[in-house]
Amino acid sequence: MPSMEVISVNIWQILISLCNLLILYLIIRKFLYEPVRKMLEQRRAVIDGQYSDADEAKRAALADKAAYEEKLAGAKAEAETIRQNAVAEADKRGEKLLAEAKDKADGIVRRAEAEVELEKQKAKDDIRREIADVSTKLAEKLIEREIDEKDHHELIDSFIDEIGETK
Amino acid sequence: MEENDRQFKIIDRLYLALAILPLVVGMAINVLTSPASDGIEIAGARIFFEIPLPLQPLPITESQVNSWLVMVTIFFLCLYFTHGLTERANTKRQLILEWVVEATDNLVRENMGKYFEGFSPFVAAIMALSAFSSLLSLIGLYPPTSDLNVVAGWAVIVFVLITYYKNKCGFVHYLKSFGDPVPFLAPLNVISEFATPVSMAFRHYGNVLSGSVISVLIASALQGVSSMLLGWLPGFLGQVPFLQIGIPAVLSIYFDVFSGCLQAFIFAMLTMLYISSGFPADDWEKLKLQKQQLKEANN
Repeated sequence: MPSMEVISVNIWQILISLCNLLILYLIIRKFLYEPVRKMLEQRRAVIDGQYSDADEAKRAALADKAAYEEKLAGAKAEAETIRQNAVAEADKRGEKLLAEAKDKADGIVRRAEAEVELEKQKAKDDIRREIADVSTKLAEKLIEREIDEKDHHELIDSFIDEIGETK
Repeated sequence: MEENDRQFKIIDRLYLALAILPLVVGMAINVLTSPASDGIEIAGARIFFEIPLPLQPLPITESQVNSWLVMVTIFFLCLYFTHGLTERANTKRQLILEWVVEATDNLVRENMGKYFEGFSPFVAAIMALSAFSSLLSLIGLYPPTSDLNVVAGWAVIVFVLITYYKNKCGFVHYLKSFGDPVPFLAPLNVISEFATPVSMAFRHYGNVLSGSVISVLIASALQGVSSMLLGWLPGFLGQVPFLQIGIPAVLSIYFDVFSGCLQAFIFAMLTMLYISSGFPADDWEKLKLQKQQLKEANN
């Protein structure tokens, strides 16, 4: 089989080799670089999407957090007002109870005093009657005569009144 | 799902097989057509047949056939590597592929600037074609890069590209650039213009060819040394070139693998540097600005 010379120039061979390189360039561009570029583009799109998703989620989370904090602060304030109301209510009720108790106690004391006064009056009357009786008997014995009991009583009453006034 | 998986795997295997097949075919052709060896021979590519064409007949030789085989291999490797690309990059091959694409992109951007970013597929094509062609010698095939015509074809493309980008600012600007820095150097500038592709072609071709020549020389020398040192061995043992075992393989690591890849890299680097340095970027910027201002003035 014949061989080429070691150094030989053939225009057609040069042309073929030139076309070979061009064809290989097209092959590599079409079947290697374009798919890879497309894939990288898609990957970038996916990553961008994920980033924007993450940003969105973060924003939502922050909004939620703010809302919760606001709610929490509201709840705290509400609890405070409830507590204050309860305290005020309790105070009021306590005062009311105290006042009632005082009233009751006052009433009891007043009634007791009135009773005491009544008893005193009764005792006074009793004593007056006793004294009248005693003095009547004393006077009967003293003057030994019958006196109209009625007149007698009037006499003694006036006498006791006098005593009472002097006292 | 399983059905899809199986289909995916079958297509995968098919691509790999089709990528390897050209190399097997090349080896088969090589075995079938290689003449009985008669000692040391340094010759060009074997001619399979000739096509009569005007000017010069076109011989279809090993270098053409091997180039096509390499192209088919690269094509199916591309299909294999881009098969099953996902955004998540969960396969080894995708990582390799992304690394390759990114590496060439970075190389082009660093050496040529932002304006030439679209050049990475071209640079990758040059590198792949050159490296794979040179590496064909690893499996005993004729490396097309040791044929001057093959490399000259690539250099012609590079020359056309250089001239195209030098003409970006208009033909007058291009002609003026020959009178740089002093007008009487113009003939030298013209020569250097044409010397660029010639030197590129000869550098690449010469390196690969010299590698194979040295390999052949060393192999035959080792045969001689072996028969000289070990010829006293009885019987057929004296005929076995023991020194040829191992030593040529080590040399082949340098001349075939290292030199082949290095030359591919150098050729691609020179392509990038010549094209980007030929492009008058500053003047072109100025021209663009002027055009823009003119447009605004008209509006």
